[in-house]
Amino acid sequence: MMLLAKAALGLGGTLVLAGAYTFREGLIRVDVDEYRAGGSHVHMWVPAAMVPMAMHFVPKHALCDAAQRAREVLPAIHAFAKELKKLRDVDLIEVSDGDEHAQFRTRSGNLQVDVDSPDEHVHLRVPLITLDDVVGQLEESAPGA
Amino acid sequence: MFPRNRVLAMRTALVASMLLALLPVRAPAQGTTPTKTGPSTSSAAAEKGERWLHVRVISTDGKSETVRVNVPLELAEKVLPAVNHDRLHAGKVRIDRSEMNDIDLRALMEAIRTAKEGEYVTVEDSDNDVRVAKQGNQLTIHVLDKSGSKKPQVEVKVPVKVIDALLSSGKEELDLVAALHALGAEGDTELVSVKDSESTVRVWLDSKSVAD
Repeated sequence: MMLLAKAALGLGGTLVLAGAYTFREGLIRVDVDEYRAGGSHVHMWVPAAMVPMAMHFVPKHALCDAAQRAREVLPAIHAFAKELKKLRDVDLIEVSDGDEHAQFRTRSGNLQVDVDSPDEHVHLRVPLITLDDVVGQLEESAPGA
Repeated sequence: MFPRNRVLAMRTALVASMLLALLPVRAPAQGTTPTKTGPSTSSAAAEKGERWLHVRVISTDGKSETVRVNVPLELAEKVLPAVNHDRLHAGKVRIDRSEMNDIDLRALMEAIRTAKEGEYVTVEDSDNDVRVAKQGNQLTIHVLDKSGSKKPQVEVKVPVKVIDALLSSGKEELDLVAALHALGAEGDTELVSVKDSESTVRVWLDSKSVAD
């Protein structure tokens, strides 16, 4: 009985800690709804803390290849994410054209892209810290880094 | 609860709280509302002395097209040097002298800087009104096209210090970062205004993160 209580307590504590760490960095949220025949509907919520961890399991050559292809834009994205983290909630770009509406903004430490049109709705939310981490890891994986 | 269980629970809570405290402090998680009940973003930006570049394109012909861009100058200053594409490298744009029709921009600017304030060019005919003037350390260009149906009216104001900074790196380059830095030192300024019968375009600088 005693042993069981200890095991349950240990497991519960581990789960609480793992949950707290996982959700500490927020969620990556992707929502895509296409309003047409055969249109796709994607709704994905991924704990942001998992992404940098998952990148450690990506084969080195694949990361190296991705970094090589994106090498021209990586420093700019890195600088952009780093600077955006310093800002409070801001609406950076907003485009409206009749029924179509697109927004690029930051909210509570997240980069948020929202596109609404009669044909589709796309909503993307990525914690800036994750964006910075991922780009940083890609830069480190680049050949000659 | 047994005393041993209580001690175990206390130890677990202690270890858990220590581990949580040792985790790196990160931005607030998604979905959480900021607890800070500070000033609004625009007034906070003003307090911090941030300078924002705003662009507005508003369609006035009933199509309800609008474009709003708000960029902190500091962000642009930091990101531009990291962009290396085509003619843009390290925050500088390489210019081809042949495209400038062999005009020496530096000499031209030196002449403008040392010249007295006043109107330098005034052209008025049936098709266009063009005015180039130096007023209060600003170069002002005003163009009114009277020939087309849209009758666009363009007004550009560029602080002389910004042009100086733009031309500071060399004859074959425009230093965008230095120009942005110089722009940041200016007060609230309307830089570009284009009005025609279909749309209005405004580019201006102020200390608010949001525009009216």
